[in-house]
Amino acid sequence: MPNHLSHAPLALIVGGHPRNASDADLGLALIAGHDWALAETWRRFAPMVLRTADRVLGSRNEADDVAQEVFYQVFRRTSTLRDPSSLRSFIYSFVVRVLKTELRGRKRRRLLFFNPPPAEEMRDVAAADVESRELLYRFNVLLDRLSARDRLVFVLRRTESMTIQEIAATMDLSISTVKRSMAHASDRLDRWIAADPGLAAFVDSQRRAR
Amino acid sequence: MRTPPDEQPVTPALSALVDLQRDAAKPRSATELDRGLATVRARVAADRSRRPILVRGVVLGLAMGLVALAAPRLWRAVRAPAATVAVQRIDGGALLDGGYLAQSGSGGVEVTFNEGTHFKLAAGTRGRLRELRRDGAALSIENGAASFQVTPDPSRRWSVEAGPFLITVKGTVFDVTWDPATERFDLTLRRGRVQVSGPVVGGGITLNAGQHLAVRLPLAETIITETANEQSAGPDDKPAGEAAPPPVNPGASTPGRVPAAKRPGPRAAAEPAAPSTPTAKQPDARGWQAWLAAGQWDRILRDAERAGIPATLEQASSEDLFALADVARYRHRAELARSALLAQRRRFPSSPRALDAIFLLGRVAEVGDGAARATALYDEYLARAPYGPYAGEALGRKMILSNEHGQPTQARTIARQYLLRFPSGSYAAAARALTREP
Repeated sequence: MPNHLSHAPLALIVGGHPRNASDADLGLALIAGHDWALAETWRRFAPMVLRTADRVLGSRNEADDVAQEVFYQVFRRTSTLRDPSSLRSFIYSFVVRVLKTELRGRKRRRLLFFNPPPAEEMRDVAAADVESRELLYRFNVLLDRLSARDRLVFVLRRTESMTIQEIAATMDLSISTVKRSMAHASDRLDRWIAADPGLAAFVDSQRRAR
Repeated sequence: MRTPPDEQPVTPALSALVDLQRDAAKPRSATELDRGLATVRARVAADRSRRPILVRGVVLGLAMGLVALAAPRLWRAVRAPAATVAVQRIDGGALLDGGYLAQSGSGGVEVTFNEGTHFKLAAGTRGRLRELRRDGAALSIENGAASFQVTPDPSRRWSVEAGPFLITVKGTVFDVTWDPATERFDLTLRRGRVQVSGPVVGGGITLNAGQHLAVRLPLAETIITETANEQSAGPDDKPAGEAAPPPVNPGASTPGRVPAAKRPGPRAAAEPAAPSTPTAKQPDARGWQAWLAAGQWDRILRDAERAGIPATLEQASSEDLFALADVARYRHRAELARSALLAQRRRFPSSPRALDAIFLLGRVAEVGDGAARATALYDEYLARAPYGPYAGEALGRKMILSNEHGQPTQARTIARQYLLRFPSGSYAAAARALTREP
């Protein structure tokens, strides 16, 4: 009796629900081009990406654009994912790259168009009250004055609580460079806040109110 | 704020600001996440539908030539950047805090922008100017109807939200209506091209001039019809990719009706996508997917007829067959749609498209073969792809058919199953109504 073999290509089949798939399975499925993996990757990692982008850029709208760009690049470049179990780090490396490009672009646009009024787009911060929104807006104006690298290092360290080593690995920098960048950013921000009596008073009143 | 151990502490003021910055990042809603996923999907799909490398090289060469020719003009454009978009005039109302457009009379509100774009909210319509950017604006319609006339400019970004739908526009003229009570969305495109994303239309659907899109969310039904348009050229006469980026291909069910896209679209969170069976990477030999994305439906039909329908059904790739089935449904050619889907199942039995074809055959059967045949096909789909992209649709349609054909008890049982699996799915409202009945 002839043996009929299927000519269907082999492919990864994850047992059960996509949400039960491990990061490694998800990475493999992405590499294999499975459609479900795309939605699951977004579902699993988009909140993390959006949160980081929110904090780095201080703008929800820009963060949305960045998240879309990150995942677009991730989905296009899945073939370069060498270790599927490190999918999270893989995505984070795109986050840092896209954020850096965005921050540099922001600076470039400002230089090109000579419009220093900083980031109207930063007005859409999602703080609870008007005072906090104003405070955050002014803080983001200061953050905007930092270089893209210093700003990223500062935010990843202080708000994302990443270790110096993690930041160095993600941003492809030496540990000493990260430390230097961190100190530089902190010093400058402290100085600028102190030099802005309105902002300092604002911070004081907010702290007293709490 | 926790101070990292290997650094000197920061001042209290900076510490307070960092805390504030951290706490301000609020998570996105499911709708916002779905919309983001839909946009990414549309971009990825547009990428996949691009031509092979050689063709791309030729196109790139031509494009470089054109850029060289247009360089002086580009230089002028860079030196004199387009003016920032601003509201120039508001007639019949006023702009309130939060961007709300309040009407002062009974004639609706008209808003004119400095670069010529103009829109009008019909009387009684609740709308909002959600965001005004340097390069465009985002508007939202919460309830009612509005007409838009957007000045063509590729450097501008205009978008309109109507309920859960997002319309991305370049230069175009269209009318949009959203009724939250009946969850009905209507868009009539008079000129240009727009991309619509949202529930039921999947990852995105491109409309060409003269087309009317009607979506009824409770039925998970999308109907595209042709209307008279302001342009003499039809969809097939327009150059591909003229304005909007080519989106993912919308999937249709019965002729003229479009259920969720073949790929899990914005509703994926509610009705999760499935781990698929082996992906058959069939070459898009005829390039029909790209034509489909560009709205060149009749071109696909003409191409198939020129080659002969039987030969096409035997020789076309999996992707081409699916494109053919789509356009056949759009053009109300049920028999051709059925033949293409059956060919898909027969020739590519282990591909994910073959599974999709089972569901879509069910939708075709609802019109022709009757409810029993359709239900059998939905059962087959649910058995073979319980977490497939159409699982929610299949269960929902089965529930509706049972109810419509005198089986209320069975319909209620299915409704309970549906609500357990897809509490925010397209059929959730119908399922809740059924479970409330005695």
